[in-house]
Amino acid sequence: MAVAQRKPLNLAEFKVPKGKVIVFTELCKGCELCTEYCPKEILELSEDYNEKGHHYPVIKPGMEGDCIYCLFCQEVCPDFAIFSEQVEEEVSAQNSVEF
Amino acid sequence: MRVGIFICHCGRNIAGVVDVNWLKQEAAKLENVVLSEDYIYICSEPGQKFICEKIKELNLSHVIVAACTASLHGETFSRAVENAGLNRYLLEIANIREQCSWVHQSTPEIATKKALRLIKAALAKLTYAKPLIPIKAPVTRQALVIGGGIAGIQAALDIANAGFDVYLVEKGPSIGGHMAQLSETFPTLDCSSCILTPKMVEVAHHKKIHLLTYAEVKNIEGTVGNFDVTIVKKPRYVWEDKCTGCNDCVDVCPVIVPNEFDQGLGARKAVYIPFPQAVPLIYTIDLEHCLNTEKLIVCENCFKACGPRAIDFLMEEEEIKIKVGAIIVATGYDVIPLEALPEYGGGRYPDVITSLDLERLLSPSGPTGGVIKRPSDGKIPKSIVFIQCAGSRDPEHGRPYCSKICCMYTAKHALLYKHAVPDGKVYIFYIDIRAAGKKYEEFVQRIVEEERVLYLRGKVSKVFGKNEKLAVWGVDTLTGRALEIEADLVVLAPAIMPAKGWKELSQTLKLPADEFGFFTEMHPKLRPVESPAIGVYLTGAAQSPKDISETVTQASAAASKVLALFSQKRITLEPIKAEVDLELCKGCGICAKICPFGAISIIKKKKKKYAQVSKAACQGCGSCMGACKFNAINIAHFTLQQLSEQVDALLEGEKWQ
Repeated sequence: MAVAQRKPLNLAEFKVPKGKVIVFTELCKGCELCTEYCPKEILELSEDYNEKGHHYPVIKPGMEGDCIYCLFCQEVCPDFAIFSEQVEEEVSAQNSVEF
Repeated sequence: MRVGIFICHCGRNIAGVVDVNWLKQEAAKLENVVLSEDYIYICSEPGQKFICEKIKELNLSHVIVAACTASLHGETFSRAVENAGLNRYLLEIANIREQCSWVHQSTPEIATKKALRLIKAALAKLTYAKPLIPIKAPVTRQALVIGGGIAGIQAALDIANAGFDVYLVEKGPSIGGHMAQLSETFPTLDCSSCILTPKMVEVAHHKKIHLLTYAEVKNIEGTVGNFDVTIVKKPRYVWEDKCTGCNDCVDVCPVIVPNEFDQGLGARKAVYIPFPQAVPLIYTIDLEHCLNTEKLIVCENCFKACGPRAIDFLMEEEEIKIKVGAIIVATGYDVIPLEALPEYGGGRYPDVITSLDLERLLSPSGPTGGVIKRPSDGKIPKSIVFIQCAGSRDPEHGRPYCSKICCMYTAKHALLYKHAVPDGKVYIFYIDIRAAGKKYEEFVQRIVEEERVLYLRGKVSKVFGKNEKLAVWGVDTLTGRALEIEADLVVLAPAIMPAKGWKELSQTLKLPADEFGFFTEMHPKLRPVESPAIGVYLTGAAQSPKDISETVTQASAAASKVLALFSQKRITLEPIKAEVDLELCKGCGICAKICPFGAISIIKKKKKKYAQVSKAACQGCGSCMGACKFNAINIAHFTLQQLSEQVDALLEGEKWQ
């Protein structure tokens, strides 16, 4: 197995910052920049529409705890419609990191 | 012109095949020859004296020695004629041993005739020889050491302790090399990092050592005594002078990747030091895995957390130019990748690992804190199969050589495992046990006899997965039984190969390497640390697989060669350099393009273009002479005229060209 494909044995010792994504659905115009830029790929477009008639970003089911508070979505959003808030509790990398 | 010819018997080496008496008589008849003598060992002290006496007595102007190769005794005879007051470039050596008597042992008559031809050719070349004066050049008394493993560290320390400046260039973010990865060292079971770390710290604090980590040698020009070196320092995005090594950036970094230093068995963040004892203790941001890219910087967690403001995402590659007098190559080794060993399940099963992986699992500072765990499920293995010579001594993998250290470290691994898991079972498949070294055999014997380890002489044919375990099919050739062993963990002793990048380095340094990529030494027995590129010295596993003690020995040897060079203010260089005939040169520039040393430039003088040779950079290789369409460039002592006369004489009038 290549070195890159191995799963490190000491992941439990590593902590990553945790964030909570908040979306102002009414401001979104569905440009998909946030879904494209999210490094953890936890965002997808919603099924339903906002007031303006656009699909807006939601967190993929089951990935609610996976935001790492990198603020990429917040930085790329042209409409200030998404931001992330740091959650004090840090998550262990044991289950959240995939290789 | 008064030529003296001295024919050596070399005991029976030459005289046993070539009829020396006849040769002597025939040679005496040649034009301009005033003396033709034979001698049993002309390289001996009385033999050299004999040449001196005859030069003085008969007032000889040129000398031919028909003996062995010039590379073996050229210097001996050059000194002998110099002692008699003759210019050393008025001596020619006819090689009638390697090129004649040794290869024509079965046909002595033809060999004798060939020997005469070789003497005639030497005479023809000598007829047009000119006396030359050696060039004196100043020595830059600073050294460059490439590679920061134990070899490079030892060499750098030895040179620096003698009072000369050393630039130590390391590709990775920390020095220490493979030795830093090891848990214990054989045969004393010294903790590897305990004996290495003090040396690393000494390097970091030494006033004479300029440590350049995360840097690579890009270009080297010039010659012994005066190399111009260009080093590229990759951006680590952390200022070395500001970082305090506090670890605050690591805590906030959201990216986790496998740590190469732990062979992927441990993790690290995108901002990291490879291991806690790293030297220098400066963090590096690995932009390949960092969320930010060169163009887009968004995640500022580390930047915000850094108290001393050491993080700078705008850092750029830096080029450093230095001048050194000597270079030590200590680039070390890599092991053959697991994917290259599919018959042992390498690359397919996570529990088939290399010995280097096991070192990390055994190391108290490793990812498991010294507890041996299987990579697949983290369980402690109850049975281990070690397979030695995985890839080495195996022409099918293109590596017929012995990797030398595997027998010893496998014994060590067996011992460490048995001490950690006393009820564990250990099977070792081996071809031979090679334990040549001080206290090595005793060490292996102790493990064979006392540790309840099963040594099986034979090879393994196949490793495959079976019920969460690995089945190993092998043969015990001593009992003639075919075996199937169920193991929790299979450890391969992988073949050692030269470190990645040897090809590029070999080109930059004009350093020859063998077919596997190990750099070639000047003489395997008597000049093992000098490379054919003068002023470049070899040490460690870059030359051949070695253990730590041998590497350290060779590093100190290379350092002593450098110090011998630095002990003189000026060095003597051979005047065998390219010379341009300005009458014939058209300034076309082909020679300048072809010169591998960048020694030729085209200049304009009186509205005409010429090639100009920098005598300091020219190595006298002759590429330009061969390429010039106008015969305008000649290498002194090997001019076109000399060479064509020599070939004419060899062919005795037969047509060539």
